Amino acid sequence: MSAPATPAPAQGHELEQSMFWIFVQIAMLLAVITGLELVTVYLPFVKWLLVSVLVVLSTVKFMFVIFYFMHLRWDRVFCTLLFFIGLVLAAATMWALLKLFGAEAGKPLYATMIDPPAIVARIA
Amino acid sequence: MSSDAAAATIDHHFDPTTSTGIPNKKILMWAFLASDCMFFGCLISTHLIYRLHPPPGNPVARQVFSIELTSFSTFILLMSSLMMALAVNAIQKGNLKSMRWSLLTTIFFGCIFLGCQVYEFRNFVYEKHLTITNSILGSTFFTLTGTHGLHVLVGVIWLSGMLLYSFTGRLTEKQAIDVESMGLYWHFVDIVWIVIFTAVYLLEYI
Repeated sequence: MSAPATPAPAQGHELEQSMFWIFVQIAMLLAVITGLELVTVYLPFVKWLLVSVLVVLSTVKFMFVIFYFMHLRWDRVFCTLLFFIGLVLAAATMWALLKLFGAEAGKPLYATMIDPPAIVARIA
Repeated sequence: MSSDAAAATIDHHFDPTTSTGIPNKKILMWAFLASDCMFFGCLISTHLIYRLHPPPGNPVARQVFSIELTSFSTFILLMSSLMMALAVNAIQKGNLKSMRWSLLTTIFFGCIFLGCQVYEFRNFVYEKHLTITNSILGSTFFTLTGTHGLHVLVGVIWLSGMLLYSFTGRLTEKQAIDVESMGLYWHFVDIVWIVIFTAVYLLEYI
């Protein structure tokens, strides 16, 4: 005979309690990471290192929320794939836009007026 | 997390009536959130591009922002996510009373967040003279954070509607997917803020 689909009341209560503490612990961890982020911006290190640390910390927070609070850890892989398609497209769009507008010829007009490209400076 | 606990949760989410085993409402919500990622991605990119190339006379963001208030808002939103997760957990176990309290707390935290944002916007406009039309920083900042704030407002209205609906007696463990879909939306609002907090606020202080 197969096992019952729903847990016994006592077992269900235990499960509910364990999930409760998991969520509370994750929330506390997220709060601590937020505190770390705040401290990080005031540290006297090189900019690229601080930016990298901030990106890593916010990614960790992001992942904890989507995999635990949003149940992706326990859901079917299809949900993760579906969401990550949007996420990857968004990240790629952001990267492309930042690269595009970061290039010399792609800077907004007022920016090129203040800081002219090398070729314009040479002509002038 | 024990494997038993995980297995029980997966079983709870399984819907034998669909070919994927995933409730259709959940797939719909995940697809919507994926598209919303791209929407916010474009808004954040626009803000970052203009921050990297600020026009002459653009206000200094660091002198305008209040990191203390924003950090408090971030903490509040994280706690609201916790309460939302507990609300979903409660309805999945059929504990309606616990779900109502968790939803009420989530609404309360959501309202505090919105209150902080209204205060911040008023402060920027009247004290710091930063408006949506007088600088590019104002345009991109208010558009991005305002859109996020609208998402939070929609979430608070949705949560309030669900809380009222729970008193009709028609919300049971079988309708847990409705609360879970709403929860996914609320957590998404939280993760967008996690990115905004770093990309828009914290990077200005480095």
